[in-house]
Amino acid sequence: MRDLIDLWVNVQAWLFETLVSQVLFHFGLMAWYEPGYSAVEFVMLGLVQIAVIAIGMRFFERRWPLEKSGEDDRLIMVDRVYTVLNKLGIVPLAIFILTYPVVQEIELTVRTWGYMPPRLERLLPWIGDNDLLSFLVYFVLYDFAAYWLHRGQHAFGWWWALHSLHHSQRRMTVWTDDRNHVFDDLIVTLALVLFSQFVGVQPGEYVVILMVGRLIESWSHANVDMSFGWLGERLLVGPRFHRLHHALSTPTERHIQDHNFAPVFPIWDILFGTAIYDEKHRPTGVDDATADRDNGRGWIAQQVTVFGRFVRALVPKLSRRASAR
Amino acid sequence: MNRLSFAALALSLVVGGTARADSVIILNSEEASYSILSRSTRTEVVRLPVGREPHHLILSPDGKEVLIGSTATNELLSLDIKTGERKRVVKDILDPYHLGFSPDGKWFVTAAYRLDHVDIYHADGFKLAGRIFIDGLPSHMAFDAESKTVFVTLQQSGRLAAFDLATQALKWNVPVGNAPAGVVMLPDDKRLLVALTGEDNIVVVDAKDGAVKSSLQTGKGAHNFWPKGDGRHYFLSNRVEGTVSLIETKDEPKVVGTVRIPGGPDCMDITPDGKELWVTQRFLRRVAIVDIETLKLVASIPVGKSPHGVFMLKSTATVAGAPVRAASTAGERR
Repeated sequence: MRDLIDLWVNVQAWLFETLVSQVLFHFGLMAWYEPGYSAVEFVMLGLVQIAVIAIGMRFFERRWPLEKSGEDDRLIMVDRVYTVLNKLGIVPLAIFILTYPVVQEIELTVRTWGYMPPRLERLLPWIGDNDLLSFLVYFVLYDFAAYWLHRGQHAFGWWWALHSLHHSQRRMTVWTDDRNHVFDDLIVTLALVLFSQFVGVQPGEYVVILMVGRLIESWSHANVDMSFGWLGERLLVGPRFHRLHHALSTPTERHIQDHNFAPVFPIWDILFGTAIYDEKHRPTGVDDATADRDNGRGWIAQQVTVFGRFVRALVPKLSRRASAR
Repeated sequence: MNRLSFAALALSLVVGGTARADSVIILNSEEASYSILSRSTRTEVVRLPVGREPHHLILSPDGKEVLIGSTATNELLSLDIKTGERKRVVKDILDPYHLGFSPDGKWFVTAAYRLDHVDIYHADGFKLAGRIFIDGLPSHMAFDAESKTVFVTLQQSGRLAAFDLATQALKWNVPVGNAPAGVVMLPDDKRLLVALTGEDNIVVVDAKDGAVKSSLQTGKGAHNFWPKGDGRHYFLSNRVEGTVSLIETKDEPKVVGTVRIPGGPDCMDITPDGKELWVTQRFLRRVAIVDIETLKLVASIPVGKSPHGVFMLKSTATVAGAPVRAASTAGERR
């Protein structure tokens, strides 16, 4: 294990010292010196995630596909673009630059008031003795926050206008998870980073939680009819469980997408009455012609049109004027 | 694993008193933990939890405890100087990034790097005497010999500020170069050395008014100092260059030796026998050991993530007679 850590750290340090730090130094950007080192790790982790998805998860999709290849296959390409932009840190970097001053300002103000993150180890010291247990506890807390944010994405019209981009995909695959509007990503990231800081998640833990969580979420969008078994499906979100959340609503199941919200741990859906367990195969997508037209558009066109949708939802007057014309 | 290691440490402490003076503390800043290493076996003996984002640590004036600044929890954690075990927590010390006691032991100063202020406390009881808000990321500090003035580098604004300890008033605040970090007062009590992390040099500054007298090229990312102990030589870590320079300061400072230390070398300390320099390698999650006589890297020990502060645990007898130095560690940005 130590050899593996050494290999990882050596590659990260080499990339940083020979390339990134020299650039930062040259342009007088030493304020970004430490964040720059973390950014290198983020990109490396992104490459690992892409490899796991492209090689590992795709193997199962090819071997045991739920939906066979068809004309909708062309809709998948744009999702791959989303995944690469996200996993290699291009979108996260933009979000980081935008959210960092806000997060800093809030954190500093609150700390000046005397608030300190209530690390769980203070209340339950034995958690600190076990790294895995500590990680799991914070992971569960993080997922709890993500569950409620996800419910918010479905509950508010303006937020749904953004989030509907994620749901408009008719051809769900392991690439679908990253298909989100940048502004939607920004809101969710800002909320989760603040939540993590206030409950006391360490920066190192946050990166691992993010990586493991997003991999599980990529898998839960896979085009396979697989589950972890009766018990497993109640412990961890799998493709069958999450596919129901993406199901196309019908007259008999008008609010089907208001179920199975949990990103990683289904316990939240079970506790809050939003879980549905069945084995029906449903088509996926949205029953809204406007949102459905996201399919077939490229990354930029999707970002622009969905932002327009968001603005109209936020300011209904604009929507009325547009329809009057 | 931690419990097992702790048991091993406890056993070693019981078996012989020599073990007490044989340990080194390393602060793993991104892991909220500190490692206790054995100098003789050059291994990590145990890793224990400590607050959040610990960066620097310092010996108390009475030489009985080591104080770790836990920056994100606004507190100091005190460790027993002999065993490294946790003794007490001093609360309500805001963002204690860099720490220092004045040479007379009466004042305790913290540089709140994130919150942009310098706090001056009465060391006895840690009662706040004054909080001075100042823009520019206050990062490192040094004191004059008479314990009248504390000098603080402002990493973002490229300045060095001097504060009167008794009145907590700003004496001067002058530009010195790009991203100043480590600062040390030379034995003549007239000149300060300031490391410029945004450049490849250090500057010599007049302690009276902050005037820059001269500069000396050392290596990219000149960052922090540690005294060799002979009153003449200082070690300097160059973070971007990945080297440690040995600087002679009797007359005009000059570089008399350099050793390559990969991994963003940062804080340093010297073994009590004066033979080894220990340097944290932030990016490699290791601590390097340099043979001081030959200036060669002889070992590198794995520790936790982003190791920052380093401190040699010594027996009380060894420590009590030693001078109290401002800021036991040389730090970098978080």
